Amino acid sequence: MSLRHVYAVTLKEIRHILRDKATFFLVVFTPTLLLLLLAYAVTADITHVPISVLDMDHSPTSRAFIEQITLGDDLELISHVNNIKAIEDQLLKGSIKAAVILSPSFERGLYAMRGAGVQILVDGTEPQSGGFAVDKIALRSDEFISKLLVKQFAAQGMNIENLLPIDVRTQTWYNPNLKASVDIIPGLLSIVLALPGMSVALTLAREREHGTLEQLMASPVGKSELLLGKMIPYILSGLINIPLTTAIALYWFGVPFNGNFGLFVLLSSIFFFANLSMGVLIGVFIHSQAAALALSLLLVLFPGFFLTGIFFPIAAMPPIVRMEALALPGTHYAIITRASFVTGAGIDVLWLYGMALLLMGIAFTGIAAYSFKKKLA
Amino acid sequence: MEYIIQTTSLTRKYGQLIAVDALDLAIRPGEIYGLVGADGAGKTTTLRILAGVLTITDGEAWIAGERLATNAEKIKSNIGYMAQQFSLYGDLSVSENLAFFADIYDVWGVEREERTRYLLEFAQLTRFHNRRAQHLSGGMQKKLALASTLIHQPDILLLDEPTTGVDPVSRREFWEILTELHLGGTTIVISTPYMDEAERCNRVALLHNGRLIRSDKPRDIQSSVEGDVIRLTPENWQYAQQQLKQIPGVLEVQTYGNRLHVLLSKGEGNLSYLESELDRRAIQFSGLERTPMRMEEAFISIVSKLEK
Amino acid sequence: MAKRIWSLVIKDFTHLIRDWWLPAFMLFGGLLELLVIGWATSRPITNLPMMILDQDQSTASRKLISALKNTTTFSISHYALSYDEIDTAMDRGSINAAIIIPNKYGTEIEAQNGKPTIAVILNGAESTAATAALRSIEGLIADLGIGITIERFGLPEEALAGFIPSLRVWFNEALNEALYTTPAELGLMLEFTILIFAGLSFSREREMGTLEHLLVMPFSSLEIIAGKSIPVIIIGFIDFILLGGIVRFAFDVPIRGSVSLLLIIALIYILVELGKGLVISVSSRTQHQAFLIIMLVGMVDFLFTGYAVPVESMPSILQTLSNFIPAHHWLVILRGILLKGVGLETLWPNVLALVILGIVIGSVSIFFVRRSLD
Repeated sequence: MSLRHVYAVTLKEIRHILRDKATFFLVVFTPTLLLLLLAYAVTADITHVPISVLDMDHSPTSRAFIEQITLGDDLELISHVNNIKAIEDQLLKGSIKAAVILSPSFERGLYAMRGAGVQILVDGTEPQSGGFAVDKIALRSDEFISKLLVKQFAAQGMNIENLLPIDVRTQTWYNPNLKASVDIIPGLLSIVLALPGMSVALTLAREREHGTLEQLMASPVGKSELLLGKMIPYILSGLINIPLTTAIALYWFGVPFNGNFGLFVLLSSIFFFANLSMGVLIGVFIHSQAAALALSLLLVLFPGFFLTGIFFPIAAMPPIVRMEALALPGTHYAIITRASFVTGAGIDVLWLYGMALLLMGIAFTGIAAYSFKKKLA
Repeated sequence: MEYIIQTTSLTRKYGQLIAVDALDLAIRPGEIYGLVGADGAGKTTTLRILAGVLTITDGEAWIAGERLATNAEKIKSNIGYMAQQFSLYGDLSVSENLAFFADIYDVWGVEREERTRYLLEFAQLTRFHNRRAQHLSGGMQKKLALASTLIHQPDILLLDEPTTGVDPVSRREFWEILTELHLGGTTIVISTPYMDEAERCNRVALLHNGRLIRSDKPRDIQSSVEGDVIRLTPENWQYAQQQLKQIPGVLEVQTYGNRLHVLLSKGEGNLSYLESELDRRAIQFSGLERTPMRMEEAFISIVSKLEK
Repeated sequence: MAKRIWSLVIKDFTHLIRDWWLPAFMLFGGLLELLVIGWATSRPITNLPMMILDQDQSTASRKLISALKNTTTFSISHYALSYDEIDTAMDRGSINAAIIIPNKYGTEIEAQNGKPTIAVILNGAESTAATAALRSIEGLIADLGIGITIERFGLPEEALAGFIPSLRVWFNEALNEALYTTPAELGLMLEFTILIFAGLSFSREREMGTLEHLLVMPFSSLEIIAGKSIPVIIIGFIDFILLGGIVRFAFDVPIRGSVSLLLIIALIYILVELGKGLVISVSSRTQHQAFLIIMLVGMVDFLFTGYAVPVESMPSILQTLSNFIPAHHWLVILRGILLKGVGLETLWPNVLALVILGIVIGSVSIFFVRRSLD
């Protein structure tokens, strides 16, 4: 392989990118821009989930109960309603995500130790806020009721300190407040940094569509020289984006970075190589830009969101899909980004993922170089 | 080495379609060798095969002693190939395009600078060296493409219709460049739809439906065609053309502006025979005279015979 | 006029059939992908790898462990012998949670006023999994705790049952997770399909230089726009029906509302996205540019579908912005018709917003396209 040939192709590709201001801007700043927007929205803590209450008891205890439920700013009591029909309407309109119904015998039942008659209604169509509201309401309801019950038991001569005697001491490592931003923002890096690289699939298809590939085929430039030369500019644009996106995560969103930055950059370069080699593979087989673009979306963007474990844990996926997820470079890189930012794991842990990415890159590039023929047909 | 390019029973199929059919070519070093034929005759396919960018379905091809099917990569640095459509990078400038091809053909150092300067001068592109290739005129684009294929001083040039869509002045300049290269010893294989260009070749191959009809010097091809060409200027050329075709012995009638060229089977009394036939059909005309057979007539005559 | 538009439509379809990879990928690849992604993500979180360090080795600790196994939330990967093992496994990210049962756990449970403790360690590097793990463990420990209290004080079996709030999940009584996930996934794929076909329509012709041919032909710019739009609308509609079919039949998501209303609004939505795609298309010089812009726009829109975070919880500026995102209204309508069975009487604000956005985006797009064509 001649490094000069690789350099020539790289220089040419960089010129293509620089020549058009819009393309240059998009290639270089898409990751940073996207991270800003995605992170902003994705990691907002769930707050102000609208709920309503139907209090059929109207007792001091029920009022105290309702007060306790709506104590924080995570749930927002938007209305007291008088009948269940009103709740139904609100749920249909989507103006509330959940509702609490207290039975007419709420207070009496509690003091008679018969039961409380608390009912929670929740909108089953909301992916996030409904479940969140139920958790919060149930938790506070339990706290309120158990305190009251302990008192009642004491009055009956039973010294029950706690209805739930097992004390669970929870420690959350790496992310003590379990903030979604801490792990999801590094996870998002694995998507946004992958995107510009998909352009490499288009550049091969473009040369085919424009007829310039024919000229290259007739020249002595080697297949792997051509493919590598096309990958390098996008590795560089990825490397430019690492400090940019890391800075945004750190300073804008306050995500900690606990790992070794040098190691992170190294592993990121390996990821770019693996990701780009997938793009090159697409470009070798798919001869039109439009189709290459569509396939990139199917192989990188959509799985990047759903299958790399950023939002949904890979462990919970069906085994076949888990295998598919592990065949995607993004999955391994998502582990690396989260580890570098959150757990601060070092080379002793991450070498495995780096190795997997390296092997993928070599395999994809190898298949691409083997399958790419310097022939039109 | 007697032949620098040689093919035996070279065949290329696209599915059922046979684009090149058992082609035997033998091209000598230093020749300008023309490929002529109608669209779809197989010229582009042949050149692409010789450039090593198309696989061979059947038969053999050797270039500079290397077997093309197996050693194509070895000879690519000796070949300059210019595809029919513009295949340089439109968003790169003239000198960036040249520099890129210099890089991938390993032209370095002083030689590179000299070649670049020389080729820009030679193609009269010096003034435009900073212009993006897509903003050049068609003729300048062709010259830039040629300059790019010459950057490494190839021994063999394969040019696929290099002058199609080029204005007459640029075409003449283009041929001057080719002549200069020819004098320098470069082997040039050129396909062209223009018969006047075919006449400038040392030898031409006449292709028809993928088959080689003849391969000879242009003059020999012309003289081998049996027949005479007579030209005239009729009053109503449409009517005249239609009538002329019905005259026994007329092989072909071609229009040149308002003039007609009539190809007749060879014979002594041709001129007077045609005159009387024209009179008999009440065709008004002027300027009836014999004219030398041109490549174009020879080509059409041969092809129309084949099609009959 | 209709005839000339028709000829343009036929021309575009001919291109699509010639480059059949594109429609094949977008339509059938998209379907397959929705199947895989929907299948993978529409399920409760289960099988989270967990480590247990049982220092007690008592009947009580074994009871706890078997209760953990029964939740299916966890798959117990390993019984650790020391704390270090947990430490290493956490650092490797190979477990999501660990439970340490201290050696007095059993005796504390036996004692009348004993205070058994257990320690839970969660891996915060995967917050979704950690949250699910915590929820599951807390529920399980609460159940165990109530059992202990009942036993200790000789209370009747169901004495405390009435104090736990009863839960009714509306619109999704069967707790089918696909109801949450697949509509948003459908929305994402449909949007990208429309944006790609519309976004490439002009940028491809411009890049290949064939736009000039189109412009010199005797078509008015409106005819050209119509000729380019009709194939996209047809493809978008087919895509919606295919994806909708998958959501309905493969994932058992009900269609509780009016199918015809759904189809009409889908058509409106397709037109709105088409308008966006055409603006992207005429403002891009190359397909590459169009591709990068489509990704930016499409990903941003996806945020507002409520897949990852409810729109109500976003910063107020983003909430305001969400009103201008067609995909946001579309998802509200889609969920409303499919899952809640509501109609225009409830959804009219979103439908109205979609129509207004459609008119605005449509006029902007026609203005833009005409300006760049003339």
